[in-house]
Amino acid sequence: MTGYEQLAKKLVQSAKKKGAKQAEAFIEIGRQSSCRVREGEIEDLTQATSKGVGLRVITKDHRLGFAYTSDFEPSSLDGFVNRALQLAQAAAPNKLNGLPTGKELGKLGETGDLYDPEVANLAGDWKIKAALEIEKAGKAVDPRITTFDNVGAGDYVSEVYVASSEGMTAGYSGTYVYLFGSPVASENGQLQTSYWVDYKRFLADLDSPEAVGREAARRAVRMLGAKRAKTQQVPVLFDPLVAASFVNNIASTADGNAIYKNSSIFVSKLGKRLAPETVTVVDDGLLKRGLGTAPFDGEGVATRRTALLDKGVLRNYLYDSFTARKAKAKTTGNASRGYNSLPHIGTNNLYLEPGTRTPEELVREVKNGFYVTSMLGSGANPVTGEYSRGANGLWIENGELAHAVQEVTVAGNLLQMLQDLDGIGNDLQFRGSSGAPTLRFKQLTISGD
Amino acid sequence: MPRASATTRKRPTPALLGPLSTRRTAPPPLLPQPLLERLLSVAMERGAEFAEVYVERALTTAVILEEARVKSAQTGLAQGVGVRVIAGAKVGYAYSDDLEEASLLRAARTAAMIAQGGGSEQSFKVSRAPSPTYYRVATPLADIEVARKADLVLRADKAARAFDARIKQVNGSYADVTKRIAVGNTLGHYSEDTQDLCRLSVQVMAEGKNKERRTGYYGGGGRVSFNHFDTFTPESVAREAARQAIATLGATECQAGPQTVVLAPGWSGILLHEAVGHGLEADFIRKGTSLFAGKVGQKVASDLVTVIDDGTVANSRGSINVDDEGAPGQHKVLIEKGVLKGYLYDQLNAKLMGQRSTGSGRRESFKHMPLPRMTNTYLAPGDHAPEDILKEVKRGLYCAHFGGGQVDITNGNFVFEVAEAYQIEDGKLGKPVKNAILIGVGPEALKNVTRVGCDPMPDPGLGTCGKDGQSLPVGVGLPTLRIDNMTVGGTKVA
Repeated sequence: MTGYEQLAKKLVQSAKKKGAKQAEAFIEIGRQSSCRVREGEIEDLTQATSKGVGLRVITKDHRLGFAYTSDFEPSSLDGFVNRALQLAQAAAPNKLNGLPTGKELGKLGETGDLYDPEVANLAGDWKIKAALEIEKAGKAVDPRITTFDNVGAGDYVSEVYVASSEGMTAGYSGTYVYLFGSPVASENGQLQTSYWVDYKRFLADLDSPEAVGREAARRAVRMLGAKRAKTQQVPVLFDPLVAASFVNNIASTADGNAIYKNSSIFVSKLGKRLAPETVTVVDDGLLKRGLGTAPFDGEGVATRRTALLDKGVLRNYLYDSFTARKAKAKTTGNASRGYNSLPHIGTNNLYLEPGTRTPEELVREVKNGFYVTSMLGSGANPVTGEYSRGANGLWIENGELAHAVQEVTVAGNLLQMLQDLDGIGNDLQFRGSSGAPTLRFKQLTISGD
Repeated sequence: MPRASATTRKRPTPALLGPLSTRRTAPPPLLPQPLLERLLSVAMERGAEFAEVYVERALTTAVILEEARVKSAQTGLAQGVGVRVIAGAKVGYAYSDDLEEASLLRAARTAAMIAQGGGSEQSFKVSRAPSPTYYRVATPLADIEVARKADLVLRADKAARAFDARIKQVNGSYADVTKRIAVGNTLGHYSEDTQDLCRLSVQVMAEGKNKERRTGYYGGGGRVSFNHFDTFTPESVAREAARQAIATLGATECQAGPQTVVLAPGWSGILLHEAVGHGLEADFIRKGTSLFAGKVGQKVASDLVTVIDDGTVANSRGSINVDDEGAPGQHKVLIEKGVLKGYLYDQLNAKLMGQRSTGSGRRESFKHMPLPRMTNTYLAPGDHAPEDILKEVKRGLYCAHFGGGQVDITNGNFVFEVAEAYQIEDGKLGKPVKNAILIGVGPEALKNVTRVGCDPMPDPGLGTCGKDGQSLPVGVGLPTLRIDNMTVGGTKVA
């Protein structure tokens, strides 16, 4: 048992001794460094260590208190435990308050490795070189790439520990490494930007800096000459980056708490067909080498694979233990948190399963339509299903990408959009912990000229 | 500046807050001055040009209400030190939340590595510069009993439900922070500030016929004493959130395409923040990635448009006595009668561009480097009576309440979500419409401003601005405004 596991356990015991019925400590330790470059020189180097602990207590009269701190001095931690207990007195008693029980915590699944020693020991100059390569490769793509708004690389090593009075003490370590670039393309007084990023647990899985630089540049350059489109209803494609944000909108709609509170368009839709058979949306906490993979969630519950939409049919909502108890359902291991927040429902690795069609085929079948490559605004309202966002991308004419489009909006309704999903690409990709292939919707409203 | 009156309620018992409690008498410095000076000296040992030590201690409290009861009450303590070293245009940054001397020295040495020179042992002395006060809170928010904070959300819940039987869900939250900062640098400057900030917010869902659901959201606060909520009552906040949800029941689909829009005063200032504010931040200007770069002295908006960024507004959410580099908060005219006057500078970009800091160097916490950011951004009032502005519009969209916005600095595209909107027909408000969003390009939209109301209004204190992953409190403000030929996103096509 590491020192931090012991500390977590000690805090739980201390809270129990001071009168808590249940207690849970969540500790996060992080070490990170990053580098950004500009015009062939280092722009900045950042290095940091951080730590924090959150303590959740439940009193005998069913009240919930929560406190967090980054101060690990023993004298300070003592007051910290008292504070969590005293804060509970300001909250209302609720019989449903409680930590996941031994049974709910479950047997931890097989995650495979989450920690890459190569990332943990990455030399500082690797990041500098990688960032310079991204910039160089991006500029080499096209003379119209005039500069970069942002380009860099970084790594992160984290440790997470949970101890609970219900019989849980566990921890794990993980690594991340990432590359990013957002170049600026310029022509005839018009400036356009885009970005590309890769984010992996293992160095061996990471795209090369050249690939990241080239893709970022390609995406910026193809936006040059962008103009508005006419207001109309047409078939719309989302590229995988944009499609992943749509899949995230679906997950917020399947949030068990929103469902319980009658605040989602997915209420009473369990078991119903909401999308074509080609559509399967999965949250998988055990996905091999996934960025969101972890043995347990934010309250120690074993993570698992949960299909939200299975062949178009709504099969599951996402739950943490509290909401599951409220809804008389079972936790799905989707409690998400940092040390400084109470658990809330979130996703692990969320994705829409790929189809069999190439993105080119999906474009070729469209006579007049819009291929969206980036979006502005927050997106969808899970309560009403309304979807309206600013969009940039490429216009499709007779099955070909014709010219760039900007300053338009796309609008629809989430339920209708799911039904209208008439094309699923074979190009699933993750840029972070959510992923999607190219998606095609039969019809959305474009607003422009 | 309104003087915050002393509260007569009893002080919290020390046991309730433990060591978190802030003191009423002059608190000890966040970091002993000799240690801070030692860190500066270590940060410079490789021969950099500038070093800075930023120290922060933030106490937060939050109360969450769900299903008519207080779900949880929570507090947190975050403290740490960030050391920044500048050599030419290169920056080294390291931070630590461990305040042990050895950890801090390690951070200073790490940041120093950006400079390649040999350097020599130099000592640095800092001395405190007096700073102005645009907010003074009699009792730190961290010292107010949690029970009183919980009472606010409970009262809000009651008022929202009493507003109309169709209000089915109420979520409320109260959050505050008492944040102390200290900044010292190798120019010898040292500043300290205590920044209290609070916000009460209420979100409701109404259910009408055929299970139609609408939401409403309202809230506010600022760098104010807790007795702010004696006048900005939870009841008034809740009723406004409930009013929005009920008013938009039966909303029809929004017409897509260009229209004349009229913006209600207040929080609509988010449009200004997105359409021009971000594009005037000096980092984007220096890198040539903003479409406002190189345009000082040029006409970038209609004659009616005067834009100000002001960190000195009394008790406002975006105000700062000093920025996070120790420079005093300022009042800056960015656009005057349509002509671009200047940009928002932090120290680094100001130096590289031969300018002076405008007191715009802000950071989320010790975990972040300062960036040029807005404070309170507003449009100066014009001459038009708000009712006349509406009366003149034959057909258009009235935007009464707004959600969030976002901008792409480079091409200037911005969006702006409209939470409550009505059709305008023959100068009068018609049916509510749903799912509306505005999109435009900053300077083009501002050139299409054809009426500016004589009714300036600040937002109630609910804005948070994100940039480079850093979130900051900001204020915005706008009088009633008419913009012609604005693209409105919606689902209905004529």
